[in-house]
Amino acid sequence: MIKKLFNPFEFIAGGKALIIGLIIILATVTIGFYSNTHFPDIISVKKAGEFPFSYLIIQSFTNWLVVSILFYLAAIILSKSKVRIIDIFGTQALARAPYILGALIGFSESLNKFSQYLLWMSLQVGDPVEITSFEAIIAVTLIVCTLLLTVWMITLMLNAYKVSANLKGVKLTVSFIIVFILAMVITATLSQIILNRMQTT
Amino acid sequence: MKKKLPNSCPSCSSELQVSSLHCNACDTTINGLYNLPAITLLDPKEQEFILKFVINSGSLKVMAKELNLSYPTVRNMLDELINKIKNLQENDQETI
Repeated sequence: MIKKLFNPFEFIAGGKALIIGLIIILATVTIGFYSNTHFPDIISVKKAGEFPFSYLIIQSFTNWLVVSILFYLAAIILSKSKVRIIDIFGTQALARAPYILGALIGFSESLNKFSQYLLWMSLQVGDPVEITSFEAIIAVTLIVCTLLLTVWMITLMLNAYKVSANLKGVKLTVSFIIVFILAMVITATLSQIILNRMQTT
Repeated sequence: MKKKLPNSCPSCSSELQVSSLHCNACDTTINGLYNLPAITLLDPKEQEFILKFVINSGSLKVMAKELNLSYPTVRNMLDELINKIKNLQENDQETI
Protein backbone atom coordinates (compact mmCIF):
# COMPACT_ATOMS: atom_id res chain seq x y z
CA MET A 1 0.00 0.00 0.00
CA ILE A 2 2.77 2.45 1.00
CA LYS A 3 4.70 1.50 -2.16
CA LYS A 4 1.62 2.29 -4.25
CA LEU A 5 1.28 5.67 -2.53
CA PHE A 6 4.89 6.71 -3.09
CA ASN A 7 5.71 4.80 -6.26
CA PRO A 8 2.53 3.96 -8.21
CA PHE A 9 4.55 4.20 -11.42
CA GLU A 10 5.74 0.61 -11.09
CA PHE A 11 2.12 -0.28 -11.84
CA ILE A 12 0.84 2.64 -13.90
CA ALA A 13 2.57 4.76 -16.54
CA GLY A 14 2.17 5.86 -20.15
CA GLY A 15 -1.22 6.88 -21.58
CA LYS A 16 -3.22 5.70 -18.56
CA ALA A 17 -1.13 7.81 -16.17
CA LEU A 18 -1.37 10.76 -18.57
CA ILE A 19 -5.18 10.69 -18.75
CA ILE A 20 -5.61 10.28 -14.96
CA GLY A 21 -2.92 12.92 -14.32
CA LEU A 22 -4.52 15.48 -16.65
CA ILE A 23 -7.94 14.93 -15.06
CA ILE A 24 -6.36 15.44 -11.62
CA ILE A 25 -4.59 18.65 -12.77
CA LEU A 26 -7.90 19.98 -14.15
CA ALA A 27 -9.72 19.07 -10.94
CA THR A 28 -6.97 20.73 -8.87
CA VAL A 29 -7.27 23.95 -10.92
CA THR A 30 -11.07 23.96 -10.58
CA ILE A 31 -10.94 23.42 -6.81
CA GLY A 32 -8.14 25.99 -6.54
CA PHE A 33 -10.27 28.52 -8.44
CA TYR A 34 -13.05 28.26 -5.85
CA SER A 35 -10.70 28.07 -2.82
CA ASN A 36 -8.48 30.94 -4.09
CA THR A 37 -5.43 28.66 -4.15
CA HIS A 38 -2.85 28.73 -6.90
CA PHE A 39 0.48 27.09 -7.75
CA PRO A 40 2.97 29.75 -8.92
CA ASP A 41 5.80 27.23 -9.50
CA ILE A 42 6.28 23.45 -9.44
CA ILE A 43 5.95 23.06 -5.65
CA SER A 44 4.48 26.26 -4.17
CA VAL A 45 0.90 26.39 -2.91
CA LYS A 46 -0.34 29.94 -2.32
CA LYS A 47 -3.51 31.47 -1.03
CA ALA A 48 -4.17 34.64 -2.96
CA GLY A 49 -6.94 36.84 -4.30
CA GLU A 50 -9.19 35.78 -7.13
CA PHE A 51 -7.37 34.91 -10.33
CA PRO A 52 -9.03 34.25 -13.71
CA PHE A 53 -9.68 30.55 -14.35
CA SER A 54 -7.72 30.77 -17.62
CA TYR A 55 -4.63 31.99 -15.71
CA LEU A 56 -4.85 29.11 -13.23
CA ILE A 57 -5.19 26.60 -16.09
CA ILE A 58 -2.18 28.04 -17.97
CA GLN A 59 -0.15 28.19 -14.72
CA SER A 60 -0.79 24.55 -13.76
CA PHE A 61 -0.23 23.19 -17.26
CA THR A 62 2.97 25.26 -17.60
CA ASN A 63 4.25 23.74 -14.33
CA TRP A 64 3.61 20.22 -15.63
CA LEU A 65 4.93 20.86 -19.15
CA VAL A 66 8.16 22.59 -18.06
CA VAL A 67 9.09 19.90 -15.56
CA SER A 68 8.20 17.11 -18.03
CA ILE A 69 10.21 18.64 -20.91
CA LEU A 70 13.27 19.09 -18.66
CA PHE A 71 13.03 15.53 -17.28
CA TYR A 72 12.62 14.18 -20.82
CA LEU A 73 15.73 16.03 -22.03
CA ALA A 74 17.73 14.80 -19.02
CA ALA A 75 16.48 11.24 -19.60
CA ILE A 76 17.42 11.09 -23.29
CA ILE A 77 20.87 12.48 -22.46
CA LEU A 78 21.61 10.26 -19.46
CA SER A 79 19.63 7.03 -19.85
CA LYS A 80 20.87 4.00 -21.74
CA SER A 81 17.28 2.71 -21.96
CA LYS A 82 14.77 3.60 -24.64
CA VAL A 83 12.80 6.39 -22.93
CA ARG A 84 9.19 6.96 -24.02
CA ILE A 85 8.01 10.59 -23.94
CA ILE A 86 4.50 9.46 -22.87
CA ASP A 87 5.94 7.78 -19.75
CA ILE A 88 7.73 10.97 -18.63
CA PHE A 89 4.74 13.26 -19.33
CA GLY A 90 2.19 10.77 -17.98
CA THR A 91 3.96 9.95 -14.72
CA GLN A 92 4.83 13.62 -14.06
CA ALA A 93 1.14 14.54 -14.54
CA LEU A 94 0.10 11.83 -12.08
CA ALA A 95 2.83 12.92 -9.63
CA ARG A 96 0.95 16.20 -9.15
CA ALA A 97 -2.00 14.34 -7.54
CA PRO A 98 -1.22 15.36 -3.90
CA TYR A 99 -1.93 19.00 -4.75
CA ILE A 100 -5.61 18.29 -5.26
CA LEU A 101 -5.63 18.04 -1.43
CA GLY A 102 -3.57 21.25 -1.29
CA ALA A 103 -6.32 23.01 -3.27
CA LEU A 104 -8.95 21.61 -0.88
CA ILE A 105 -7.01 22.90 2.16
CA GLY A 106 -7.47 26.38 0.68
CA PHE A 107 -11.17 26.30 1.67
CA SER A 108 -10.26 26.52 5.35
CA GLU A 109 -11.48 29.74 6.97
CA SER A 110 -9.03 29.26 9.85
CA LEU A 111 -6.12 29.35 7.39
CA ASN A 112 -7.45 32.59 5.84
CA LYS A 113 -7.92 34.18 9.25
CA PHE A 114 -4.48 33.00 10.43
CA SER A 115 -2.70 34.51 7.40
CA GLN A 116 -4.59 37.81 7.89
CA TYR A 117 -3.64 37.69 11.59
CA LEU A 118 0.05 37.12 10.77
CA LEU A 119 0.04 39.95 8.21
CA TRP A 120 -1.52 42.32 10.77
CA MET A 121 0.79 41.24 13.60
CA SER A 122 4.06 41.36 11.65
CA LEU A 123 3.51 44.07 9.03
CA GLN A 124 0.37 45.91 10.22
CA VAL A 125 -1.22 45.15 6.85
CA GLY A 126 -5.03 44.91 6.58
CA ASP A 127 -7.57 45.10 9.37
CA PRO A 128 -6.87 43.93 12.94
CA VAL A 129 -7.89 40.27 13.29
CA GLU A 130 -8.83 38.30 16.40
CA ILE A 131 -8.05 34.60 16.28
CA THR A 132 -8.95 31.85 18.79
CA SER A 133 -6.34 29.29 19.85
CA PHE A 134 -8.49 26.54 18.25
CA GLU A 135 -8.38 28.35 14.90
CA ALA A 136 -4.62 28.83 15.25
CA ILE A 137 -4.11 25.10 15.94
CA ILE A 138 -6.25 24.17 12.90
CA ALA A 139 -4.31 26.62 10.69
CA VAL A 140 -0.89 25.35 11.86
CA THR A 141 -2.02 21.73 11.34
CA LEU A 142 -3.12 22.57 7.79
CA ILE A 143 0.21 24.29 7.07
CA VAL A 144 2.05 21.16 8.27
CA CYS A 145 -0.28 19.04 6.08
CA THR A 146 0.61 21.22 3.06
CA LEU A 147 4.32 20.69 3.77
CA LEU A 148 3.75 16.93 3.95
CA LEU A 149 1.87 17.09 0.64
CA THR A 150 4.87 18.86 -0.90
CA VAL A 151 7.23 16.13 0.37
CA TRP A 152 4.85 13.49 -1.01
CA MET A 153 4.71 15.21 -4.41
CA ILE A 154 8.51 15.58 -4.64
CA THR A 155 8.90 11.86 -3.81
CA LEU A 156 6.37 11.03 -6.53
CA MET A 157 8.20 13.26 -9.04
CA LEU A 158 11.51 11.53 -8.21
CA ASN A 159 10.04 8.03 -8.53
CA ALA A 160 8.24 8.99 -11.76
CA TYR A 161 11.55 10.14 -13.24
CA LYS A 162 13.41 7.09 -11.87
CA VAL A 163 10.98 4.57 -13.40
CA SER A 164 10.43 6.38 -16.71
CA ALA A 165 14.11 7.08 -17.38
CA ASN A 166 15.60 3.96 -15.75
CA LEU A 167 18.22 5.95 -13.87
CA LYS A 168 19.90 5.14 -10.56
CA GLY A 169 22.48 6.40 -8.08
CA VAL A 170 24.42 9.62 -8.66
CA LYS A 171 23.05 10.14 -12.19
CA LEU A 172 19.48 10.05 -10.87
CA THR A 173 20.08 12.24 -7.79
CA VAL A 174 22.20 14.93 -9.46
CA SER A 175 20.04 15.21 -12.60
CA PHE A 176 16.85 15.33 -10.50
CA ILE A 177 18.20 18.18 -8.34
CA ILE A 178 19.39 20.17 -11.38
CA VAL A 179 16.10 19.71 -13.27
CA PHE A 180 14.10 20.52 -10.13
CA ILE A 181 15.94 23.82 -9.50
CA LEU A 182 15.77 24.79 -13.19
CA ALA A 183 12.05 23.99 -13.31
CA MET A 184 11.44 26.06 -10.15
CA VAL A 185 13.14 29.11 -11.66
CA ILE A 186 11.52 28.75 -15.10
CA THR A 187 7.98 28.13 -13.83
CA ALA A 188 8.13 30.97 -11.27
CA THR A 189 9.35 33.36 -14.00
CA LEU A 190 6.78 32.17 -16.55
CA SER A 191 3.99 32.41 -13.98
CA GLN A 192 4.86 36.06 -13.33
CA ILE A 193 5.17 36.86 -17.06
CA ILE A 194 1.79 35.25 -17.84
CA LEU A 195 0.11 37.14 -14.99
CA ASN A 196 1.62 40.48 -16.10
CA ARG A 197 0.49 39.88 -19.69
CA MET A 198 -3.02 38.95 -18.60
CA GLN A 199 -3.28 42.05 -16.42
CA THR A 200 -2.15 44.39 -19.22
CA THR A 201 -4.57 42.94 -21.81
CA MET B 1 9.97 -33.17 -7.59
CA LYS B 2 11.55 -30.83 -10.12
CA LYS B 3 15.29 -30.66 -9.53
CA LYS B 4 16.90 -27.21 -9.55
CA LEU B 5 20.18 -26.86 -11.42
CA PRO B 6 22.65 -25.27 -9.02
CA ASN B 7 24.79 -22.54 -10.55
CA SER B 8 26.91 -21.46 -7.58
CA CYS B 9 29.00 -23.44 -5.10
CA PRO B 10 27.15 -24.03 -1.81
CA SER B 11 30.49 -23.90 -0.03
CA CYS B 12 32.17 -20.75 -1.37
CA SER B 13 29.45 -19.25 -3.67
CA SER B 14 31.77 -19.31 -6.70
CA GLU B 15 30.38 -20.04 -10.15
CA LEU B 16 30.11 -23.77 -10.87
CA GLN B 17 31.38 -25.53 -14.01
CA VAL B 18 30.34 -28.78 -15.68
CA SER B 19 32.92 -31.49 -15.15
CA SER B 20 31.12 -34.52 -16.61
CA LEU B 21 28.28 -35.30 -19.04
CA HIS B 22 26.56 -38.65 -19.18
CA CYS B 23 24.53 -40.39 -21.91
CA ASN B 24 21.82 -42.56 -20.36
CA ALA B 25 21.25 -44.48 -23.61
CA CYS B 26 24.75 -45.91 -24.06
CA ASP B 27 26.18 -45.17 -20.65
CA THR B 28 28.98 -42.99 -22.02
CA THR B 29 30.49 -40.44 -19.68
CA ILE B 30 32.49 -37.48 -20.95
CA ASN B 31 34.80 -35.80 -18.50
CA GLY B 32 36.05 -32.26 -19.07
CA LEU B 33 35.60 -28.72 -17.90
CA TYR B 34 32.76 -26.75 -19.48
CA ASN B 35 31.27 -23.41 -18.50
CA LEU B 36 27.54 -23.33 -17.81
CA PRO B 37 25.55 -21.37 -20.45
CA ALA B 38 24.85 -17.76 -19.40
CA ILE B 39 21.10 -18.38 -19.13
CA THR B 40 21.55 -21.13 -16.51
CA LEU B 41 23.55 -18.72 -14.36
CA LEU B 42 20.55 -16.43 -13.97
CA ASP B 43 18.16 -16.59 -11.00
CA PRO B 44 15.09 -18.82 -11.51
CA LYS B 45 12.89 -15.68 -11.56
CA GLU B 46 15.03 -14.14 -14.28
CA GLN B 47 14.93 -17.37 -16.31
CA GLU B 48 11.14 -17.37 -15.95
CA PHE B 49 11.02 -13.74 -17.14
CA ILE B 50 13.02 -14.67 -20.27
CA LEU B 51 10.71 -17.62 -20.99
CA LYS B 52 7.61 -15.43 -20.62
CA PHE B 53 9.19 -12.78 -22.81
CA VAL B 54 9.84 -15.29 -25.60
CA ILE B 55 6.37 -16.86 -25.26
CA ASN B 56 4.82 -13.38 -25.55
CA SER B 57 6.75 -12.77 -28.81
CA GLY B 58 8.99 -10.24 -27.11
CA SER B 59 6.13 -7.81 -26.50
CA LEU B 60 6.78 -5.62 -23.46
CA LYS B 61 3.18 -4.39 -23.57
CA VAL B 62 1.82 -7.93 -23.22
CA MET B 63 4.40 -8.68 -20.52
CA ALA B 64 3.36 -5.57 -18.58
CA LYS B 65 -0.28 -6.65 -18.76
CA GLU B 66 0.52 -10.21 -17.67
CA LEU B 67 2.76 -9.15 -14.77
CA ASN B 68 0.42 -6.29 -13.70
CA LEU B 69 3.31 -3.85 -13.96
CA SER B 70 3.79 -0.66 -15.96
CA TYR B 71 5.55 -0.70 -19.33
CA PRO B 72 8.69 1.19 -18.15
CA THR B 73 9.02 -1.13 -15.12
CA VAL B 74 9.08 -4.19 -17.39
CA ARG B 75 11.46 -2.45 -19.81
CA ASN B 76 13.78 -1.63 -16.86
CA MET B 77 13.68 -5.29 -15.76
CA LEU B 78 14.62 -6.37 -19.28
CA ASP B 79 17.44 -3.80 -19.50
CA GLU B 80 18.87 -5.04 -16.18
CA LEU B 81 18.71 -8.60 -17.47
CA ILE B 82 20.47 -7.63 -20.72
CA ASN B 83 23.27 -5.99 -18.70
CA LYS B 84 23.58 -9.06 -16.47
CA ILE B 85 23.78 -11.43 -19.47
CA LYS B 86 26.36 -9.19 -21.16
CA ASN B 87 28.51 -9.23 -17.99
CA LEU B 88 28.17 -13.03 -17.72
CA GLN B 89 29.22 -13.42 -21.36
CA GLU B 90 32.20 -11.11 -20.82
CA ASN B 91 33.26 -13.11 -17.76
CA ASP B 92 32.79 -16.33 -19.74
CA GLN B 93 35.09 -15.08 -22.52
CA GLU B 94 37.70 -13.99 -19.97
CA THR B 95 37.80 -17.48 -18.43
CA ILE B 96 38.30 -18.99 -21.94
